[in-house]
Amino acid sequence: MTAPAGDHVSASDEPVQPVRVLVADDDADIRDLVEFKLAQAGYAVEAVADGASAWESFEAHPPQLVVLDVMMPGLSGIDVLRKIRESEHPGVPVLLLSAKSRDSDVDTGFAVGADDYVIKPFSPRELLHRVNGMLARAR
Amino acid sequence: MLTFSAQLLVGATIAVLGTCLVLVIVVIAVRMHRQGRQKRDEMLLAPLRGPLITVASGEDDDGAATEQLTWATGVTRDVLDAAIVDLLTKIRGLPAEQLVGVLTAHGAVDRAKADLHHRSLVRRAKAAQMLGLAGGPDAVPLLVGALGDSTVQVRNSAAWGLGLIGDASAAGAVLAATGGEQGGIPASTSAETLQSMGVGISDVLATAFDDGDARTRMVAAHVTGDRSFTRGLPALRRLLADDPDLTVRETCATAIGRLGRAEDVTVLARHVAVDEPLSLRRACAAALGELGEAGAVPVLATLLDDADPRLAEIAASGLLGLGADGRAALAGREDTAPVRAARTVAELQRASA
Repeated sequence: MTAPAGDHVSASDEPVQPVRVLVADDDADIRDLVEFKLAQAGYAVEAVADGASAWESFEAHPPQLVVLDVMMPGLSGIDVLRKIRESEHPGVPVLLLSAKSRDSDVDTGFAVGADDYVIKPFSPRELLHRVNGMLARAR
Repeated sequence: MLTFSAQLLVGATIAVLGTCLVLVIVVIAVRMHRQGRQKRDEMLLAPLRGPLITVASGEDDDGAATEQLTWATGVTRDVLDAAIVDLLTKIRGLPAEQLVGVLTAHGAVDRAKADLHHRSLVRRAKAAQMLGLAGGPDAVPLLVGALGDSTVQVRNSAAWGLGLIGDASAAGAVLAATGGEQGGIPASTSAETLQSMGVGISDVLATAFDDGDARTRMVAAHVTGDRSFTRGLPALRRLLADDPDLTVRETCATAIGRLGRAEDVTVLARHVAVDEPLSLRRACAAALGELGEAGAVPVLATLLDDADPRLAEIAASGLLGLGADGRAALAGREDTAPVRAARTVAELQRASA
């Protein structure tokens, strides 16, 4: 297993809350395995199945990082990303996870404000490395 | 007493209503059967869902979850194999290899090899999909053989599988199937498959430029441009000039726009002349814009007054993308239809990004 990245102990040895990650994907397989992978790495993961729930969760309790599927029913990942960038917490790192692999799709993701873009099929291990890196840079 | 025609009308109405009723019952029965089967599958899979996600996420360090999946038997094994095949389209890397190991232990990969010759086209197509996902050294020749299947579904599935494996040694067979008998595989499938095979296909592409089938030459030109195989530039220029098929020439122009050099301004400019086919003139004008060379500015500027409004608009779009020189060429023409249209398109593209 990868070394925990969601620190549970601060430099002063005082317990701190684990890093919260919001995962939104309408595919139960992807949702479950990303949730499991990140939870195993020490993150506190909330997984939802659509864009509207993702936005609702983000507004209610902004996470430290968001993993968004692009193609979801109702609000797409791009729609949610736009809302995040216009919200009171525009700086939350967002990783888009999508089967849309054309250059124009990736361009759109970054143009709207994604911090990273991972194409499906993806390596769960690589996804974790990217999440760790994004959070490290955000600190 | 009803007349004969009235009786006929009543009879026909009853027959139509009866048929509708039967169809509704059939649809409901099929849906119930599917739902029942789906629920059964979910129940069978439920105890294995945890181990499956553990393996798929790459967290099965001690191999216990993989072993648990391997021991599945009977209908549960079949349902699990279908779930694994579905997962293999979503993940890659070591977890995918471990899941393929489970399929192999279940005998699913061996069954797929045999199923490539099954009389059911669904079984053959699924077998090709399975072999593509499972990969392995003997999958490539089997899938190459399936490119010659009698149905396009199986041929497409085989090409898709070869794209997943990404072995460049199959590139020649894919190109040959593009122009093959019985319809072969669609050009788009062929191109997509070849694009997954990396840089090792450039030699095969080079020979495909001289193929007798126009679709094969078109795919070669498209992939050459898309993958930026600059070695193919001389062939692209040659086919642009003298290929007997117009679509091939247009594809070559687009490819040159993507990977061409400063000297290709002259090559493309030759084919925007009024005596060339309109679709080729448009393709070359777009390629001149895509090329990004300042030398294209005067050529595109002359097209702003072309009789074809679409060509004039393409030229204006190209000039907008060519920096200060391009924008200078549009000076004084801001109110013309082509420039207005090009600006609107550019703004819409920016807004949608």
